[in-house]
Amino acid sequence: MVGSPVPYKKYLYIFLIISPLIAMVLSLFIGKFTISPDDIIQMVIFNLMGAETSHPSVYKTVVFEVRLPRVLLGMLAGASLSVSGAAFQAIFRNPLVSPYILGLSSGAAFGAALSIALAPQFPVQLSALFFSLLAVGFAYYIATSRGSTPVISLLLAGVIVSAVFDSLLSIIQMAVNERALQSIVYWLMGSLATASWSKIHSTLPLALAGCAVIYLLRWRLNVLALGDEEARSVGMNPELYKAVFVVAASLAASSVVSVVGIIGFVGLVIPHMMRMIFGPDHTHLIPLCITFGAAFMVLVDDIARSGMGFEVPVGVITTLIGAPFFAYLLRSTRSGGWE
Amino acid sequence: MKMHKRSVVAAFACLVLAVSAACCAEVTIKDDLGREVKINSPSERVVFMMENALKTYYAVGDPEKIVALKDDKWMRKLLEDIFPVIDPDFEKKLTVSITGDRVDLESLAKANPDLVVLWATTPDDVNIKAIEETLGVPVFAIFVRSIEDVLHQVDTMGVISDRMERAAEVKGIMHDYMNITTNVTGSIPESERPKVYWMWTDVLGTAGVNSGINDLIELAGGVNVMKFAENETAMTMEHPVVNLETLIKLNPDVIYMWYNENLDPKDIMTGEEFKGWRDIKAVKNGRVYEIRNPYLFDAFSPRMPLALLHVAMDLHPDRFKDVDMDKIIDDFHVDMWGVHYPSMEKA
Repeated sequence: MVGSPVPYKKYLYIFLIISPLIAMVLSLFIGKFTISPDDIIQMVIFNLMGAETSHPSVYKTVVFEVRLPRVLLGMLAGASLSVSGAAFQAIFRNPLVSPYILGLSSGAAFGAALSIALAPQFPVQLSALFFSLLAVGFAYYIATSRGSTPVISLLLAGVIVSAVFDSLLSIIQMAVNERALQSIVYWLMGSLATASWSKIHSTLPLALAGCAVIYLLRWRLNVLALGDEEARSVGMNPELYKAVFVVAASLAASSVVSVVGIIGFVGLVIPHMMRMIFGPDHTHLIPLCITFGAAFMVLVDDIARSGMGFEVPVGVITTLIGAPFFAYLLRSTRSGGWE
Repeated sequence: MKMHKRSVVAAFACLVLAVSAACCAEVTIKDDLGREVKINSPSERVVFMMENALKTYYAVGDPEKIVALKDDKWMRKLLEDIFPVIDPDFEKKLTVSITGDRVDLESLAKANPDLVVLWATTPDDVNIKAIEETLGVPVFAIFVRSIEDVLHQVDTMGVISDRMERAAEVKGIMHDYMNITTNVTGSIPESERPKVYWMWTDVLGTAGVNSGINDLIELAGGVNVMKFAENETAMTMEHPVVNLETLIKLNPDVIYMWYNENLDPKDIMTGEEFKGWRDIKAVKNGRVYEIRNPYLFDAFSPRMPLALLHVAMDLHPDRFKDVDMDKIIDDFHVDMWGVHYPSMEKA
């Protein structure tokens, strides 16, 4: 954009920055329960003013307890996964990296399965969060040697940890009954269907903290993306910042994965899309990932919850919608914006 | 003398052939997927890779002819209540492991079965093909989609064990105990039948109209709320997953939960995570129930009449207020397996 002579990119940049607001408003009008737009607008305005309306209580429940938490949780998930993906891609200097590279998703899946199948006394969300962070911690520990954490070691450690947790998950899947297995599989596919205010409250602090750290330190990603030597040459401690970004990106992604399950593609593709259009400068890339990631997830979830008569896991739709768009951008840019 | 010896050997050989022909006649039966399967009747070495059919077999056939079971913690827990009492060798049975969804052929071969009974939804099931083609052992596929299929399973076990008379008796017992419920619910007018949302463990996953649970709800005097779903695909799927807005729109009178270790009816009615459910009639009126014991009230086994009564009593408490459930459960187990429940003493 910014720095780009093409004027439409400026408008596009502004549009993408405000896109979550547009997506949120639009999504409040979409759903299986029919409520007229006039009623929704009235209810929202009255609610913002703290006034009571005469609408049936079921209308209020649908708008404020079903749609709104789902939209907000979708935005939080989209923003967190995208920004986390962008940070990991910069740290690893690798376009194939997603937020799940250090075993986060495998750890979360194992934690969720453990709770669903064998230890129901531990809430699924807490168990998934704990094991996802544990997996990242393991990967980091394995990769760190003599105070240094080479990127390639980190990548391989992530593969090892993922494999271990995937195997543990398989053992659980073999041991459980069919219904529990079904619940595990559905969780693995990722869904916003059970969104609620309490889930938003429990997710928000960690997700926000992770995103905020990445946002505030985003220019340092430009230096890290050049390599450790280059970072040192400009007086930056690459090990310290790698650790800070890994922790922040893992917190952001783990907190949402523990609630919505494993939603693929968003964390990989949204940073790529933004990089292809606006270039690799993280000072712009990070805010764009936050806003467009949020908007993309909400709009895709609108299709997941309303496109068919039954609920489709949002992870399935993110891939079906995102892949063609990604393919188009890939064909129309050189090396996907990495050169 | 030599002639005499030859005559004895020949007579013995004839006897063996006659006995083997009499005890193990080969018959062709259709399994639940419509495949024609040639089996021995009775089958002498049967392996069960699913629990529902095993329970039916225990009610009908000879326990000694079961040589191995699926290595499944859930199934073990399920069966430990009653089956070690009626089958003294239950704990000694071989187990056949499953890796992912694939049957381990080596552990199956070790059991040297002449019939394998397993759950499958399609004739192209990989396990059916692997067992039949590799081990040359016939496979009977079970696929239960209705209460009728549960009753038909009793006939199937009658053929497998060559105990058709006992199978007829077992079906009679099941019908008698079903009648305790249906004699009451059969006359309930449509207007008094509550709309029921069946909640599987995935919460928004439910039973479509073409499912055994749909039959159970109807026999128990309710109507599956999915009957009123606008989308035909969702309505007819065996396990559709609805979204919350659809559920609010369907507005069921009753929510019936399959046993859920992570949730109780109270969570649905008052939990913070379920605030969006508060305007559903079932929640407003406190009519959220749960199958209390998934082993005892298993709708896809001979215990189906107990599950039916359990659901009916919750749907229509006034009409069943004089029913002594504990006594019925005990009587049922005595009639079906000759064991008292829950004392587990032989009758």
